[in-house]
Amino acid sequence: MAAITPQHSFEGDLFAQPLRSNTGNLLQVTEPDYKAFIPPNSLRRMSRLLKMGLTAAQQCLRDSSLGVPGAIITGTGKGSLQDTERFLKDIRQYGEKALNPTPFIQSTYNAVNGMIAVAQQCTTYNNTFVHRGFSFEHALLDSILQLQEGAPHTLTGALDEMSEEHFYIKSRIGYWKKEPVDNVQLYNTLSPGTIAGEGAVFFSLSATPTAHTYAHITGLKLLYKPAVAGISAGLSAFLQEQQLAVEDISLVITGRNGDSNFEHFYTELDKVLGTVPQLPFKHLCGEYETSGAFAVWLAAHIMKAQQLPQQWFPMQADFPAAGFQRILIYNHFFGEQHTFVLLER
Amino acid sequence: MEALKQTLKQQIIEALNLQDTKPEDIDDKAPLFGEGLGLDSIDSLELMVLLERHYQIKVEDPREGRKILQSVQSMAEFIQSKQPA
Repeated sequence: MAAITPQHSFEGDLFAQPLRSNTGNLLQVTEPDYKAFIPPNSLRRMSRLLKMGLTAAQQCLRDSSLGVPGAIITGTGKGSLQDTERFLKDIRQYGEKALNPTPFIQSTYNAVNGMIAVAQQCTTYNNTFVHRGFSFEHALLDSILQLQEGAPHTLTGALDEMSEEHFYIKSRIGYWKKEPVDNVQLYNTLSPGTIAGEGAVFFSLSATPTAHTYAHITGLKLLYKPAVAGISAGLSAFLQEQQLAVEDISLVITGRNGDSNFEHFYTELDKVLGTVPQLPFKHLCGEYETSGAFAVWLAAHIMKAQQLPQQWFPMQADFPAAGFQRILIYNHFFGEQHTFVLLER
Repeated sequence: MEALKQTLKQQIIEALNLQDTKPEDIDDKAPLFGEGLGLDSIDSLELMVLLERHYQIKVEDPREGRKILQSVQSMAEFIQSKQPA
């Protein structure tokens, strides 16, 4: 796995990294030194998201030691916003003439996939899903299907960036909180809107465990625009499909984000979960279409290390004891795309 | 001509984001592609766009473009040949 996120997640010991706090309602990634991963002649042309995506993918492949991937599958909500904005501005400024090809090429959603494939000389299955809040989860689902059909392993990832302009546009339609909020205090400020985020997270998935395996992904359920009661019913059905009881879940990682417009989904979930320990993750990465990948990355780390990065959760009064056999992730994107992902040891 | 070449070098550095290159690092007659700056085919498209944006010169024939984009010298000569006397 590899993750470039607003936290210090890319290098070093995750459990020793301090929490990054921010009060601007936008969590931007901590960027690594890309020169160690991308040749200078390619780097100069790449926009931010491409650098993030390609670097996270390369680091993930190094981490897994699995070699050239059997499939490259990603999800993104918006692709490279920086290139899209540049291309659109050029169209306006130069009257649809003298347009630079690079921002157009890089604004396509599958640009990162193509670059990974070229860098790895990988000619296998290559697909990008752009399904708003289901983008990463559909990449995950496709990866599972590819593995079931015989792919030896897949490189599966998610990437999204937030630009200043896009942040402003979304703030005008109420996506973000009006008042500046410290991300550490996110859950104490229940009001309309949340904080924005971004990130690039990649996983090497294989059908059989290896010495580098962090966790097993054993369940995935997607619900589109469910009624509030559909969340508890959906979770019960999901657990039944997995032949599990609520008590079998060691920890639930939720996408709670301080947005009063959608808090009722989490309150509904609380009714089913009872006393099962919960941890939120949006104060770490912010809200974006593929933030579910951050949750999977976090859960996999917890599962492998059998410990929590407690320094990242100063709002928690106490923590569950180790012994994480199953971690459930529940997330949704502004009340529309709801996802359950189950990880096992 | 000298002033044009200096301006052109600066414009090439900016357009292609050649971060560690300074105008004085670019030899007037050194090839821009392959050797020299080591530019590639996408760079050639960006240089075409540069000519159109800054000098209002549109290169229609790709074969002609290959000759024009050989070096800073050839680019400057081409620009000068298109400018009104």
